[in-house]
Amino acid sequence: MTALPIALVPVVSARRAPSTARNIATVARRELRDAVRTRWFWLYTLAFASLGLAVSFVSAAGAGGAGLSGFGRTTAGLTNLVLLVVPLMALTAGASSIASDRERGMLAYILAQPITRTELLLGKYVGLGGALFGCIALGIGACSIIMAWMGAPSSPVAMLWMSGLALLLALAMLSLGFLISVLARRSSVAVGTAIFVWLTLAFGTDLALMGGAIALRLRVQSLLALSLVNPLQVFKLWSLHAIEASLDVLGPAGLYATEEYGRGLHLIFGACMGAWIAAPLVLAALLFSRRSPL
Amino acid sequence: MILAERVTKRFGRNTAVREASLTLGAGESVALWGANGAGKTTLIRCVLGLIRFRGRITIGGHDVLRRGKAARLLIGYVPQEIGFHDELGVREAVRHFSRLKGLAPRGAEEALDRVGLSDHASKRVRELSGGMKQRLALAIALLGDPPVLVLDEVTASLDAVGRGEFVALLKRLSGAGRTMLFASHRIDEIGVLAERVAALDKGRLTSVMPCREFLAGLGAGEVLHLALPAPLRERARSALMGAGFDARLNGVGLLVPVTTGRKAAPFRVLAEANIPVDDFEVVGVAARAEEHT
Amino acid sequence: MATRLVITGVIGVAALGALIGPAIGAGSSDHAPPAAPIERGASGPLGEIGRRLRDAAPGAVVEIPAGVYREHLRIDKPVRLIAVGAAIIDGGGSGDIVEITAPDVTLKGFTVRNTGIDLDKENAAIRVTAPRATIEANTLDDILFGIDLREAPDSRVTGNRIGGKPLDIARRGDGLRLWRCDRTLVEGNTIHSGRDAILWYSTGVVVRDNRGHDCRYGLHLMFSDEVTIIGNEFSRNSVGIYLMYSTGIEIVGNRLLRNRGPSGYGVGLKEADRFSVRDNLIVGNRAGVYIDGSPFTEARPGEFSANTIAYNDAGFIFLPSARGNEVVGNNLIDNIAQVSVSGRGSLEANRFWKGERGNFWSDYTGYDQDHDGVGDFVHESYTLFENLMDRRPSLRLFLFSPAQQAVEFVGRALPAIRPEPLFTDEVPLMRPVALPALAGARATRVGSLLSGAALVLAGAGLIALGGGVRR
Repeated sequence: MTALPIALVPVVSARRAPSTARNIATVARRELRDAVRTRWFWLYTLAFASLGLAVSFVSAAGAGGAGLSGFGRTTAGLTNLVLLVVPLMALTAGASSIASDRERGMLAYILAQPITRTELLLGKYVGLGGALFGCIALGIGACSIIMAWMGAPSSPVAMLWMSGLALLLALAMLSLGFLISVLARRSSVAVGTAIFVWLTLAFGTDLALMGGAIALRLRVQSLLALSLVNPLQVFKLWSLHAIEASLDVLGPAGLYATEEYGRGLHLIFGACMGAWIAAPLVLAALLFSRRSPL
Repeated sequence: MILAERVTKRFGRNTAVREASLTLGAGESVALWGANGAGKTTLIRCVLGLIRFRGRITIGGHDVLRRGKAARLLIGYVPQEIGFHDELGVREAVRHFSRLKGLAPRGAEEALDRVGLSDHASKRVRELSGGMKQRLALAIALLGDPPVLVLDEVTASLDAVGRGEFVALLKRLSGAGRTMLFASHRIDEIGVLAERVAALDKGRLTSVMPCREFLAGLGAGEVLHLALPAPLRERARSALMGAGFDARLNGVGLLVPVTTGRKAAPFRVLAEANIPVDDFEVVGVAARAEEHT
Repeated sequence: MATRLVITGVIGVAALGALIGPAIGAGSSDHAPPAAPIERGASGPLGEIGRRLRDAAPGAVVEIPAGVYREHLRIDKPVRLIAVGAAIIDGGGSGDIVEITAPDVTLKGFTVRNTGIDLDKENAAIRVTAPRATIEANTLDDILFGIDLREAPDSRVTGNRIGGKPLDIARRGDGLRLWRCDRTLVEGNTIHSGRDAILWYSTGVVVRDNRGHDCRYGLHLMFSDEVTIIGNEFSRNSVGIYLMYSTGIEIVGNRLLRNRGPSGYGVGLKEADRFSVRDNLIVGNRAGVYIDGSPFTEARPGEFSANTIAYNDAGFIFLPSARGNEVVGNNLIDNIAQVSVSGRGSLEANRFWKGERGNFWSDYTGYDQDHDGVGDFVHESYTLFENLMDRRPSLRLFLFSPAQQAVEFVGRALPAIRPEPLFTDEVPLMRPVALPALAGARATRVGSLLSGAALVLAGAGLIALGGGVRR
């Protein structure tokens, strides 16, 4: 410790608080950095990439070198994988974000700095979104390269669509995770809730709808509309639509969608996904700045 | 510099701070004195604009609720214990908070040097001892030389030696002309740092007086501060009360006013009651219990 | 009173118009030369080609130089009419354009375009009503019917390009139609944007190396026997090849790609008999092979061998009536449902292996410890979800979702609700039978590498940005 001149401080300085954008960027960078240094990030990336490889490998073993491509089991398998892993990843990451900071007492400390609650929330969102995208891009990209290397390439357009849409799905689930995180008092509760929500979205709603379709003989329009409530279904339908240009593989409901809306489906799916990204996030931001405990 | 008017904060039915009004002029140092649960931390969180409340608080003229960012830009804050992400590095933490305060991250080295943490700059925050963590928090609080320093029980989780060092550091760095509001239940700290003392009891500001007057009001004699395991404190208190001591609970143990020459008596009482004492300390002045806990 | 007169008058005029109108229309048609002259003889002025034909002796070679000829032709003597250079015969949007009524006529190298659109009159670019015609290397454009052979046996239709009018499918005509044209050769033609290429009551026809795309039926056989269909490519039609009530058919080495119309079969067989489907590549159709009541008799088992059936929504769809098929030595790769039965039938009367040889199934989960190329376990197919989909097609909406996996899992875990296996292959092959390579694989590979690299770079860049080596 060196002898220091004691600062002759207190003239109220003309310094201004950083702008909202700067604060968001600062928090986002730290959040991204934190995420990348944790084990979960690498575990998820590794799991995602290796499962993806396994899926493509198994389904490509048959086609070996023929370069037959289509929305076959490879893409279907990857879709399935994204549907299972990405929401789980994003929901838990979102759910533990605010809640665990609160538990560590870090929330109050950061908020005592010149930053608003909304800025903090958005910064964390952007940072975690970036980390999730890194994970998805690494996973699908590695998968794509190795499959090409092995002579059973997947369609590049399909892979790019898949990555982009997986990011949107991740953002939607992250929003939902943040909402859970803002509402929950403890991070264990938040993560538990997130896992419950994940189970519901991945299995619960679809199984219920299937049951409904069998028991109530739902019309295809109703079935389609109801399934759009689930962001996972929106991802699946959208990627099928983008990669295949038609949903006819999904039977009557898919045919109905393709014939009734055609290219408009991009808009419909985009709107659904956008709503799923924006609504929980806005709600989370409102709740967080109004009444969330520290 | 800090102006609080009729601040009231309720958590459900529980009123944590009731109609508290307090003014700190520029350069003034005021201690919030009171037992745990008296509302010190709540009032401090109100001052930082972390929670909503009824009433009004301004820092340098900025309303903490409406213009929170501007108000907090004027404040350096040190909590009882900082929590960071495990993997965050010391230098990195300082840089991060520099950015949040709108400063160039270059100042990090100097800030760490100021609190004697230069040698630990490459460590991770979790590798620091409690005292070092508090010094880090102080370094961060002093970034950009804010005119106001707000401290919340900053020594509560430190041992006696760490406490002494940290208070000395605070005294040296807080500097002349900086406005300081700090919560404490330690008379020794108050004596060193405060110019005025505001006593809080069950959310009410019961009195605001110059420090000298406050200390004098505590009367003669000495006070023993006994550190005890938490589950035993209540039992120890009844045992001492039974033996005629006016024992009071505080955050980490018991405050026992004693007359000179009988300082060992409480130990005897506790030994008979089979209650171990972890640590003790003689605090210079005795508090008259009816007012100050 | 006056009003009544007026009304009567109006009605009268209208009625008269309705009666006369079509007659006038038929006479004057839409554009200059009516469809009528050729059919009724030379009632209109002959065009240049018409005059050349009138003057030619039977057996002569008539060469027509480049130019646009706006006329309708009738070839009623055995001549060889050959275009030298780009000779275009334009029908002006009415009626038929070239009619061949004499045997042994050759029509070669012309562009024939712009027929009428009267579906009842079946306006055709080239109509042949006599045997042994040779229709070669013509380009047919903007036509309702393309080449219409009626009772023209022993003809040759080779190397023509036939493109229909951009009409709604219901208002199109057939690109190629053979009616009672035994022993005709159809080779190297390209047909697109038409309705069907169809064979009626024609025996011994060879259909070789043709391409058909964006039609309704790529090739349709009705009551046509002993037909050889070889080396053709039918893509993006509603149905690739559809056999109906035909017997003695060889379907060999064809490529049936992405036929996804309402029925969407690669190969459809309805009450066909004595057929063999070999070495075909059947990819991306709604149903790779659709079998309804075939083989029709027990004369011979329906043969399916060495086909590669991949990425179809269903590899095979059997109607419950289908029996007596032998599916051996095929590759079934990544079809969403490899084999399915429409309705709740069974596949008992069909076989998926013979002797020591079954098929290659991409979803086979067994292994081959003794390295004899045949899986050590039987390949059985039963999936609860497919079973449910058969009952409620709308459930297909949940394909590719975790819920589907959950249903399958439950089906596997609880034998009580597990459906009976649909079929068994006792000797599933471990490696695919010779796979044909598709063009474009290399491009896909490079693209896949590049996009993968881009993704990895993007991910790594983000992480570098976040991980920041600087502390």
